[in-house]
Amino acid sequence: MTRSVPFLPKDWQALLLLATVLGLLPCAVRNDYFLLLFNIMALNALVVLGLNLLIGSTGQVSLGHAAFYGMGAYLSAIASTTLQWPLAASLAFALILVGATSLLLALPTLRLEGHYLVMATLGFNIIVSILLGHFEEITGGPSGFPGIPKLHFGSLVLNTDRRFYYFIWTIFLVALALTINLTDSRIGRALKSIHEKELSAQALGIPSHRYKVTTFVLSALYAALAGFCYAHYVTFISPKTFDIFYSVQIVTMVVVGGLGSIWGGLAGVALLTALPEALRHFEDLYELSYGLILTIVLVFCRQGLVPTLLSVARFWIRGKRKYNGTGSTPTRAPVAGSSERVSISSGNAAAMAGIPVAGVPLSDPALLAVKDVSMSFGGLQALQEVSLEVHPGEIVALIGPNGAGKTTLLNIISGLLRPEAGGILMRDTELTGLPPHQIAARGIGRTFQATQIYLHLNVLENALLGFHVHGRSGFLCAYLHTFGERREEEDFRGRAMSLLDRFRMSDKAPSSTQQLCLLEHKLLELARAMALSPRVLLLDEPVGGLNPRESETLVETIAGLRRDGLGVILVEHDMNVVMSLADRVVVLHHGSRIASGTPREVQNDSGVIAAYLGKKRRG
Amino acid sequence: MVGRMLLHLFPQFFIAGITNGSIYSLIALGFCLIQNATGLVNFAQGDFVMIGAMMMITLCQVCHLPMPVAFVLATGTAAAIGLALEEGPIKHSRNRDILSLVMITIGASISFRGTAVLIWGKNAHILPPLGGETPIVFFNTAILPQSLWILGLSLLILALLYLFFQRTLTGKAMRAAADNPFGAALIGISVRRVVAMAFGLSGALGAMAGILITPITTMSYDAGLMLGLKGFAAAILGGYGSVLGAVVGGLTLGVLEALGAGYISSASKDAFAFLILLSILFVKPSGLFGQSGVRRL
Repeated sequence: MTRSVPFLPKDWQALLLLATVLGLLPCAVRNDYFLLLFNIMALNALVVLGLNLLIGSTGQVSLGHAAFYGMGAYLSAIASTTLQWPLAASLAFALILVGATSLLLALPTLRLEGHYLVMATLGFNIIVSILLGHFEEITGGPSGFPGIPKLHFGSLVLNTDRRFYYFIWTIFLVALALTINLTDSRIGRALKSIHEKELSAQALGIPSHRYKVTTFVLSALYAALAGFCYAHYVTFISPKTFDIFYSVQIVTMVVVGGLGSIWGGLAGVALLTALPEALRHFEDLYELSYGLILTIVLVFCRQGLVPTLLSVARFWIRGKRKYNGTGSTPTRAPVAGSSERVSISSGNAAAMAGIPVAGVPLSDPALLAVKDVSMSFGGLQALQEVSLEVHPGEIVALIGPNGAGKTTLLNIISGLLRPEAGGILMRDTELTGLPPHQIAARGIGRTFQATQIYLHLNVLENALLGFHVHGRSGFLCAYLHTFGERREEEDFRGRAMSLLDRFRMSDKAPSSTQQLCLLEHKLLELARAMALSPRVLLLDEPVGGLNPRESETLVETIAGLRRDGLGVILVEHDMNVVMSLADRVVVLHHGSRIASGTPREVQNDSGVIAAYLGKKRRG
Repeated sequence: MVGRMLLHLFPQFFIAGITNGSIYSLIALGFCLIQNATGLVNFAQGDFVMIGAMMMITLCQVCHLPMPVAFVLATGTAAAIGLALEEGPIKHSRNRDILSLVMITIGASISFRGTAVLIWGKNAHILPPLGGETPIVFFNTAILPQSLWILGLSLLILALLYLFFQRTLTGKAMRAAADNPFGAALIGISVRRVVAMAFGLSGALGAMAGILITPITTMSYDAGLMLGLKGFAAAILGGYGSVLGAVVGGLTLGVLEALGAGYISSASKDAFAFLILLSILFVKPSGLFGQSGVRRL
């Protein structure tokens, strides 16, 4: 299988084909003008590649990539011409400054939800345009910056369109291969999950803010690299090239190719770089045509123009025969000897917690302790000095009428909310105030009341997300697909398969999560949470919406988890489930703890009965 | 001596700031209306400003209509364009995610610019200032009559908006739908109509801002971008989505910008709005009057 081969991207056949076509093209083309067009195309493609990476991972669009492109060009021009630095140093100078600027821009803006990034980058682009025109003594002002040296390697100067053609397309193909590698890795999966559901990605231990900022900086660096190549290709640059309209053109190319689609982006670039040629005699129509293309494609094509055209073409070629989607037959049998692996991986949790697996006395120190936690939303006191302890191998049920604060408490434990008072302790480590991804990494897994399954990832990939916290290879390894990174990936795949097997879902591994029923969604979410090797598991209404038989299956599965020595906090309304699973029950009412004890004790508690059924008035 | 000179100029800068600031408030209000009704950032907001001003110029100077008539017609045109943007692309888009809708407004904005350049060319256009060009001197501070008109008319528009939202059933319905669209739909408010109305009102607000500012700054086909960005910065400064915030944010931004231009560098005046925008995002993203939202799953 190609998966385990290091350094080699997944789509290598397509890449090889593209490289061959591009390599042979100059032989077929006599006119150097077309090569110029293709060179501009490669530069655009590099910027588009970076922007697609950003959209694919953060779901945010940047209107400032023209500015990064321009900064790359100008900084390198200044370093190599005014300061007479060598080319390599100029490139490094440009990349470092662009990286630092984009970092400063991304840190505050990407912390926010909503679409602030578009506006912030738009503003940034405008400011860069103004500054480029303003500082005439450095940038040459509106009249431009002439006399930039051509690219050269030793004595080989890239002084013809043909030579630059081979250079720039090589750069692009390498960047494309590396980017495909990145998307096909642990990091790439995490980026996709951030795009789809950011909060639950954090609960899986994915540091979403850091990843988003890193991706933004990377995508700005692609643009800066393209800017460097551009400046040393045309040798004369002026601010007009890098104004906001170029950003819009780039965004249009991305949209036409399909948002976040790396191969589609290439097609979008090819189509739209040729557009100005088609409109050569109607220069005034440029802006209008880009605006209309952008609007119309977004309104009418669900996935961008190119993918839509492709599916229409496919439909015509195949006639009315129904197009077969991905089959549900697994491409790979469940891993042999998986039962052994299960015992190893399920033993992990207990081994990490350092506790014996069975027969745990409750006098043991608590695994997780919630101490006097209070929380209010506006005037509503959601939780009032609630305390709670979970011991290894114990299932604590948290019950109470709607609005009692159960889910709020789970959100506080997993770090999605910060308590106003009180704290969370795990053994002796303080968890209060840590971001959700660090809490997840310290061994708290959870499931959600409304299942948080990633619909754009298949079953196996969903399970693999749970292993994210155990991974060590970062962006660089993911780009290169190093030996270590591939080995880690193989290892995770094996472990994920055996985990799915344990939850009787291994036959579904390659199928889309959209084909699963609710029970399977819940099982998959549970499996994913188990992949964290948690010491404590938070389950928010696990059987909600299931029929009695499905509910029974899930209860058996949860009961099985107890044997692993996990501490479980279970929020549940179904009293049959609570009574059969829980070792202890804690009752919340209007944010206060009103009772706690064994299921039997709580069942007979007069306060609990009053909370659920109301008080009987004595006449 | 220099210090006294600069201090002496302060009221002058302040008046200039308040004047521009009330324009920014109107633009920010447009952002705010659409944000509350749909959760979208409308990129075409600045282009409503440009379209309103350009229409006013054409109606006054080519069609020789009297000012008030031209004002109403120009505002109406921008409102109709706002409505058309909602009723056309936004309502019928097959991509329903926010990002795509936001990008549709980017596409619309570029299309508006592209159309404007075909109609009005690339040159800057001007409107004669209301009340002549002789400044009124008031405690050593020269005030253009146009400034007074801007301040007065913006106040009037704000007052009318206030009455509309507080006293009329339609205004209350809009507030209800912004607060809870589902609940509003359940009690018989057409959320679609509210959204359409928000776009129409934003178009009108933008146009009025454009008409008022043109005598001071001139107007060209690409001026909408910068004005839109400043209105957005004002909205962020005040707290995105807050009506009071939009007004206060606009005025604050205007004054800060005028002081920055006066005391630091007039050439980088346009950079101040952006720096303020970034620092607000850095320090207090919820703005002056915004509530930091509770994230829900």
